[in-house]
Amino acid sequence: MSAPAESNLSSHTAPQRGSEPVFHVRGLARIYGEGTAVVTALAGVDLDLYAGELIVLLGASGSGKSTLLNQLGGLDSPTHGTLLYRGENLAAFDEAALTRFRRDAVGFVFQAYNLIPSLTARENVALITEICRDPMAPEEALALVGLVDRMDHFPAQLSGGEQQRVAIARAIAKRPEVLLCDEPTGALDVRTGITVLDAIERINRDLGTLAVIITHNAILAEMADRVFTLSDGRIVTARTNAHRGAVRDLAW
Amino acid sequence: MSLLDRKLFRDLRALQSQALAVALVMACGLAMMIMTRSLMLSLETTRDTYYEQHRFAEVFARLKRAPNSARDELAAIPGVSRVQTGIAIQVTLDIPGLREPAVGLINSLPERGEQVLNQLHVRSGRLPAGRTTTGELAVGEAFAEAHGLKPGDHLSAVLNGAKVPFRLSGVVLSPEFVFEAPPGAALPDHKTYGIFWMPYKELATAFQLYGAFNNVSLTLAPGASERAVIAAVNRVLAPYGGRGAYGRIDHPSHRRVDDEIRVLQGLSVAFPLVFLSVAAFMTNSVMSRQIALQREQIAMLKACGFSNAQVGLHYFKFSFAIVAAGVLVGTLGGIFLGGRLVEMYHLFFRFPQLDFLLDVRVLVAAVGVSALAAFVGVAGAVHRAVRLPPAEAMRPEPPASYRPALVERLGISRWFSASFRMSLRNIQRRPIRSGLTCLALALATAILIVPNSFRDGIAYVIDFQWDIVQRQTVTLSLVEPGPARALSDFRHMPGVVWAEPFRFVPVELRAGPITRRLMLQGLPERGTLSRVIDGRPQQLTLPPRGIIMSAKLAAVMQIAPGDFVTARALEGREREITVPVVGLAEDFAGTAAYMERHALNRLLLEGDIINGAHVVVDHGRWNDFLDAVKRTPRIAGCIIKDSLREGFRKTTAESIGLLQKIYMVFATIVAFGIIYNSARISLSERSRELATLRVLGFSRGEVGAVLVGELVLLTLAALPLGLLLGSGFAKGILTAVNTETVRLPLVLTPANYAFAVLVVTVASALSALFAARKISEINLVSALKVLD
Repeated sequence: MSAPAESNLSSHTAPQRGSEPVFHVRGLARIYGEGTAVVTALAGVDLDLYAGELIVLLGASGSGKSTLLNQLGGLDSPTHGTLLYRGENLAAFDEAALTRFRRDAVGFVFQAYNLIPSLTARENVALITEICRDPMAPEEALALVGLVDRMDHFPAQLSGGEQQRVAIARAIAKRPEVLLCDEPTGALDVRTGITVLDAIERINRDLGTLAVIITHNAILAEMADRVFTLSDGRIVTARTNAHRGAVRDLAW
Repeated sequence: MSLLDRKLFRDLRALQSQALAVALVMACGLAMMIMTRSLMLSLETTRDTYYEQHRFAEVFARLKRAPNSARDELAAIPGVSRVQTGIAIQVTLDIPGLREPAVGLINSLPERGEQVLNQLHVRSGRLPAGRTTTGELAVGEAFAEAHGLKPGDHLSAVLNGAKVPFRLSGVVLSPEFVFEAPPGAALPDHKTYGIFWMPYKELATAFQLYGAFNNVSLTLAPGASERAVIAAVNRVLAPYGGRGAYGRIDHPSHRRVDDEIRVLQGLSVAFPLVFLSVAAFMTNSVMSRQIALQREQIAMLKACGFSNAQVGLHYFKFSFAIVAAGVLVGTLGGIFLGGRLVEMYHLFFRFPQLDFLLDVRVLVAAVGVSALAAFVGVAGAVHRAVRLPPAEAMRPEPPASYRPALVERLGISRWFSASFRMSLRNIQRRPIRSGLTCLALALATAILIVPNSFRDGIAYVIDFQWDIVQRQTVTLSLVEPGPARALSDFRHMPGVVWAEPFRFVPVELRAGPITRRLMLQGLPERGTLSRVIDGRPQQLTLPPRGIIMSAKLAAVMQIAPGDFVTARALEGREREITVPVVGLAEDFAGTAAYMERHALNRLLLEGDIINGAHVVVDHGRWNDFLDAVKRTPRIAGCIIKDSLREGFRKTTAESIGLLQKIYMVFATIVAFGIIYNSARISLSERSRELATLRVLGFSRGEVGAVLVGELVLLTLAALPLGLLLGSGFAKGILTAVNTETVRLPLVLTPANYAFAVLVVTVASALSALFAARKISEINLVSALKVLD
């Protein structure tokens, strides 16, 4: 295990709960293009992420945080390095195995919500619960994000925050092992953003789901167990919060 | 090249397969229109030039015999410009190597000087030498080709009972015989019927007609009334056994060419217009999508100072580029196919030269129509795009609003899967677009029905005409109508199993102002060989009084069963009879009228007279029979049913078969084009949705099902509509090409429907497969990005 010079190795990888990590990442690199057009999006990342943790990845645009999230979510394959999910090598998964991984283990929340406009809130959730192994009822998932009374509305009839909470319900209804959130509050105002983060925090706490939030908003770091800052495809700082701040106290 | 044009060029390249699909559909419509319209122009121009240069007459008359002095009476009729008299006589031929007896119509060439009218075009050799040499004949090209005859070859003809050897001096064409069919027959049989010319003196002498004529052609002075001249000609010829003069409209060869032009006209409008409308719809959907995708680019262009007009022009150029490709391919295709069809017309029509002429006016009109369709197709989308203020256009479009589909409100929605519901609601959210796509799919199905209905119609006609109506082996005709005892002679010929007599009388039928000349057929009351069949199809019994006629003839003459029609006999004693129409018969080639033979004999105040007999021959004794026919001078003609059927297969059936194949290929291209285009647009519109599903853990197959679900639903709705529309198209087109000389019945078979459904289904499946393959190209990471 070689320590990156510019950061504190123990914060990256130290087992916090004495168990096997969900993700075990070593020397992860992702390089796009060839020749003069080479872009190094990830330049060697080491990470261990554990069940029940709430992780915030900070970084400016182009820092590599989205690329890292895509790697964790099985949307992209690394150029170099090790990427283990529960001891299995994700990089070696074929198309079908990756689809199964996304279907069973990962919940995604996107900045643009990505709801299916022709399906109601309940149906958007049911769409996913129809295809996975041990889902909760769509109504239950929507209750967890506080949307029971808006279940039969179409996306166009919901506010941005409501749409994002439907997206979270959709992501957690499958009881995923990991919840990956890409700028979940990026398109929302403060007050609405809080309700969304509150939903994520609650899921993480109540269901023990590993939650990874990427954002450029440093305020969100307060709510995390651990915070990583990326720059130029590397982790430049890592920090462990002794106490997670309450979402309601975040202010930006 | 401006930078906008460079953008246009690259965008087109990115969109090439869809642009190609649209261009091909447009090309099919244009090719069809250009092909048919240019063929019409070619036929009309060639015909008119030929008539003009070879002085085709305008009024024609046959008679028994008139002295040459009567010619001056004809020339003196006011309104007559030129008169040509001569002899035309039907004779039996003996062609070396031909078992069947053949019949020739020999026409006289003037004793002095050139022909004034109906001048011959010498294809090879020369005209018979005339006064100094005897024993020379010129032969019509169709017959010469069918038998491989060249100038210098020999054949024999039976002239007035004597077999005379002839040498062929040349192969010729005549404006009178552009279409060479035996009198009364709608179909050519070049094997057994030919046209010949020989010097007047030789022909007249052989038939004791020297100094007389039995055939008249004349032209009208400018402004003369054809009707008045015909009446005057009839008065002059009445004492000489005139059989009624007629104008070009009743001239069999002229009429056949006219009818062909009418068939082309029927095919040249409606069908291509369907194709062009589909192409316009496709242009619209491709361009609307393209403009929606480039919403932000349009905003950027406007923000940077491009005017609405510049931006609008840019997108119009886009669709005009597609039109240009369609026009290019369509024009070349139309010219190529037209060239092929012109070659085919040589099978039917004998012109000195029949070249393909491109109808430039139609080309210009077609290009105009396509460009206009493209313009209209794009105008709305361009207008919407340029109207938006740039700042607003740069923001992503708000999410589309949806409602539960109508069918879901019936309370059955819990049976539907989520992807099925997505499809239903997508369809309902854009009812016009969905309706148009459904209509386009229905049109794709419909246009597949038409060509196969042609094919099935032909097959039906072949069966109907030669298995149900005509069940004889051969039809024998006597040189002159004679007593019915000839029938027993026929029955005693070697190989003859059964014979039934017929009496054919050339008549002019009249109902009100409408007249038609045809052979009135006197047949046994309920014959077993040549039968009168109605539309059901069941045999009709000929009643002792009254006439049965082709349903088409009744329609043309605007009469129905129960009405009366007047028949004037055009041979023998001048006799006019008025009889009720008692039934309508079904037939598909030419028109006919039937009476019970004895009733006909009685009305004509003649005895038990026949013209010939329909005969069934034992195939084991076929050659004996043919030899006997050749040895019997009283037999003037012998029409073999199988050769007629063969002739029909090789000419009419082949020409319609070629059209059918062309149309089939076009229809298939359109079906694929429409469906492929719909799938691509659906893929483009929903790529973000589909990528999201993929990210959420849907497999490629599951996402494919979501994508094609809408198309499958629309196709399912379109198929029955398409079959209905197609049946209507087939009916409409067959009605348009329904002429007095050629008709096709509307035959719609389950196989035809099944084929259309199959092609559309296969096209849908392949397009869906293709679109599903494209799903793997969707960039999953892009779904995570914010649209901006």
